[in-house]
Amino acid sequence: MRQHIKYLLLSLPMLISVSVLAQEDKLVRAQQLLRNKETEAAIKAIDSVIVHPQTRLDFISWTTRAYIYFDFYKRSGEKALLNSRLRDTIVSSLLASNKLKPDSHYLVQNKNLLSNLSVNYFNLSKKLLEDSVNEQRSLIAYNRFKELNRVVNPNVDLSSYDIAYNVALGSIFSDRFIKDNSDIKSQEIAKVALLKVLEVQPENPTANINMGLMFYNHAVFLSKSLDYGADFSQIDIVQENMVKLAKQSEQFILKVYSNDNKNTKAIQALFYIYRMLNEIPKSDDFKKKGELLGLKFSDQENEK
Amino acid sequence: MAFQIKYYLCKIHFKLHKVYKYLTILLVLISFGFQQPNSYDVNSKFKAVFLYSFTRYFDWPDEKKTDAFVIYVVGKNDALVAELKKNLSGKKKVGNQEIEIKNSPAFDPSITSNIIYFAPDALKPVTDAASKNKKKGVLIVAEAPGACKSGASINFIFLENKLKFEYSKNAAVKAGLKTNEDFKALAEINID
Repeated sequence: MRQHIKYLLLSLPMLISVSVLAQEDKLVRAQQLLRNKETEAAIKAIDSVIVHPQTRLDFISWTTRAYIYFDFYKRSGEKALLNSRLRDTIVSSLLASNKLKPDSHYLVQNKNLLSNLSVNYFNLSKKLLEDSVNEQRSLIAYNRFKELNRVVNPNVDLSSYDIAYNVALGSIFSDRFIKDNSDIKSQEIAKVALLKVLEVQPENPTANINMGLMFYNHAVFLSKSLDYGADFSQIDIVQENMVKLAKQSEQFILKVYSNDNKNTKAIQALFYIYRMLNEIPKSDDFKKKGELLGLKFSDQENEK
Repeated sequence: MAFQIKYYLCKIHFKLHKVYKYLTILLVLISFGFQQPNSYDVNSKFKAVFLYSFTRYFDWPDEKKTDAFVIYVVGKNDALVAELKKNLSGKKKVGNQEIEIKNSPAFDPSITSNIIYFAPDALKPVTDAASKNKKKGVLIVAEAPGACKSGASINFIFLENKLKFEYSKNAAVKAGLKTNEDFKALAEINID
């Protein structure tokens, strides 16, 4: 009996070594399968590696898993989806690897893949805005982009992205509102987005101009929709509202012009605003300034 | 084994290296979002609506109720002419009369009309047009300081950025038009 125990104790480290080596072999095999583009088999192999007690606490297993899933993800078509299980698996694998304190090489690999996925979310947020004008889903994608970026670099300053995103959001929705002035929801989304930009950067030219033009174009729409059978009191109400909107617009555009008197967008807008307000000397002045900078003015819109 | 994995990951790393550059390009792309100001001339619209509305408050002599109802624009205002042609010609009527729009840079006395609108750059001939159209049933509308005193029945003015008008009932009567008393209340200023 003693002899048996002795043999058993002697063989135990050997058995453990064999088991560890087997798991490490699986890791290498998973790599080979990935190289041979047998991704599904690689997934099976790596999924057993990360649950085995011997290898589950190894950051290499988790990083490798992330890259294997990433390979599958690239070809799966899930890149275009806001919610992707494959993407979630990649992210969770990278986060697990990061928790296990990887060496600098693996840390860089993890960061690169996280950055790639964050770009994917950024693209999605843009696509959701431009193609389907779905601001809620777009915002989810955009927030995930920021979240992943913060994992990569906790001190990253994403304010320039916030500004760009909100400018895009504001522009797209103000454009929708201009095309359909009964679409109050779009107007609100545009205003909120552009005001967010102006909170951070009160002088931001794009946000100021888009905000100003939203008011100006709304005023045009009101006037354009005036019915020829309207009585004089209705005409007066429309003019009153038009003037209010034009003056609101003027505030935003003048801010841009006072910071940059060569800004052609501001000059062009001020010409139209003062023409609307019947302040002819001012509109003539901005027309001259614009023409000197190569702008062309027309009222062809009345002929359409 | 670790070397093998490192080697493989390095290859992927090489592919991903452009990620940050790509991110910067995206930022530029997404910032591209200016709206365009609408070039529509709203004041031409208001003038056109006013001109059409005036037809409800005057009665033209019978000889002016045959053929087309002519609105004659004197001077340069392409946006107004376009607006009138687009929305009134063939679309609206005055009584049973179709509306026709005519335009010339200077006043042409040979053009028969029901309304003559003098653009600001065509001020001088108002007196001339008023004397030539006395009792002929032509409503003269102008847009210049003191135009009602020069013979125009209606003169467009701008008050607090809004289009309004002055009215001279005497000038309208002299022009041979039957006037509506309610119209005086709609004018911002009554000259007489």
